[in-house]
Amino acid sequence: MIEKELGEHIITIDNVSKTFPGGVQAVKDFSTKIRRREVVVIMGPSGSGKSTLLRCLNGLEEADSGTIVVDNIPLDDNRKNRLEIRKEVGMVFQSFNLFPHLTALENVNLAQIRVRKKSQKEATKLSMELLNKVGIAEKSGNYPAQLSGGQQQRVAIARALAMMPKVMLFDEPTSALDPEMINEVLDVMKNLATEGMTMVVVTHEMGFAREVSDWIIFMDDGQIVETGTAEHFFKNPQEDRTKLFLSQIL
Amino acid sequence: MSIIPWLKQKVFIFRSPWRDILQFLLVIAAIIWFITISTSRVGYNWQWYRVPRYLFRVEDGRLVAGALIQGLLFTLRISGFSLVLSLLIGLLTAFVRLSGSFMGRILSRVYLEIIRNTPLIVQIYLVYFVIGPILGFGRFTSAMLALSLFQGAYLSEIFRAGIVSLHKGQWEAAHSLGLSTFHTYRDVILPQAIRRILPPLTSQVITLIKNSALVSVVALGDLALRAQIVAADTFLTFEIWFTTALIYLAITVPLSTIVNLMEKRFKILT
Repeated sequence: MIEKELGEHIITIDNVSKTFPGGVQAVKDFSTKIRRREVVVIMGPSGSGKSTLLRCLNGLEEADSGTIVVDNIPLDDNRKNRLEIRKEVGMVFQSFNLFPHLTALENVNLAQIRVRKKSQKEATKLSMELLNKVGIAEKSGNYPAQLSGGQQQRVAIARALAMMPKVMLFDEPTSALDPEMINEVLDVMKNLATEGMTMVVVTHEMGFAREVSDWIIFMDDGQIVETGTAEHFFKNPQEDRTKLFLSQIL
Repeated sequence: MSIIPWLKQKVFIFRSPWRDILQFLLVIAAIIWFITISTSRVGYNWQWYRVPRYLFRVEDGRLVAGALIQGLLFTLRISGFSLVLSLLIGLLTAFVRLSGSFMGRILSRVYLEIIRNTPLIVQIYLVYFVIGPILGFGRFTSAMLALSLFQGAYLSEIFRAGIVSLHKGQWEAAHSLGLSTFHTYRDVILPQAIRRILPPLTSQVITLIKNSALVSVVALGDLALRAQIVAADTFLTFEIWFTTALIYLAITVPLSTIVNLMEKRFKILT
């Protein structure tokens, strides 16, 4: 946990459910609130609905019922609201999803120019700052295929940050990486947390959860099983399901 | 033949060039033999010297295009217009088909099925005799429109395939950055899709040039019709049709070569 002053609630999730067309109910009546500058880690076995929940937060998946409010904007059928929320919420994917036909710099520039309507010069200035921050400025002219997995993920983080989001979502950001590249990405995320970014992170990196997160949500079968600080989870988890899961990954 | 081409390149196997040369000569000999036999059976009298005047003539000291070259220019003109129009139709149909609009999807599907399941020649007649008079289109516009509608249907399927072949993560990344659908298509999806579909796109352009020969059915003076007239007038059947085939090749072969080069040049590293 990093010492900091938390703000008001920035994300409110109320009774959210999501069932996929195949009939699988991924998220069931899920409610929680997240404060500004908080770092929340979501854990759980695969298929427990963590990613789906995360993707509901920026409208990549549409919840069937319940309400989601991000920074006072309700996420509903209104297309304008959805675009507005997407501007406020950055997302980092497990598979990076960089645009392969653009260089690292162009990847970071694109949304600034198209969505924030910045000039090429202004965009490049911020992009280089961000690429520098994630420690990859010297590779700004490289295409994604010329970068390692860790480098690609750091570019992806810079790309999301370029929109100056208020919240960052991370969907298993290190799961596709070689072990020796995981830390370079986690370090960037740690720095972000220290700077006071609100973060929701789906991950199984226990070290990260212990060091950085304010609290952890343990999910199974689309529902919250247990919440608490990292300390609580490692010292005395209450539920059997949590104990079983932790015993398997620790 | 190796199954894994990138492995094959690293293994150097010496192969005598004489084998290739011998094969080439055998093929050429077979072709010459075939033509000689077939023409001698009908007692054909080759008169190649009479052909050049149908390509170019000198009139009053100036070089004037002959019938075949005039036909070529017409073919290029109608193909060029149709290419632009068919690309627009194809792209638009693909977008509508991939859109959320139910009516749009049905309409584009009906258009596709009608075009793909009727012969082009019937479509040219229909547009020329039925739609043309209603909308007041002339002969050229009608034929050009028929060609474009025909090619557009095939192009739309190619565009659609290229678009859906991209990983859905590209859409998600673009959306999560707040890019609109328009910008997602323009800056993220199409630049990648077009590079993937360049080969089938090229073969459609070549098909278009070849299909333009069918507009001669509404008496438009394209290369094929001019060749037919010249051949009928002069009885230089073999010479004229060989020349015509060579002219078509002279357009289409460089075209595919250029696209091949473009493909290498704009290849996306993966």
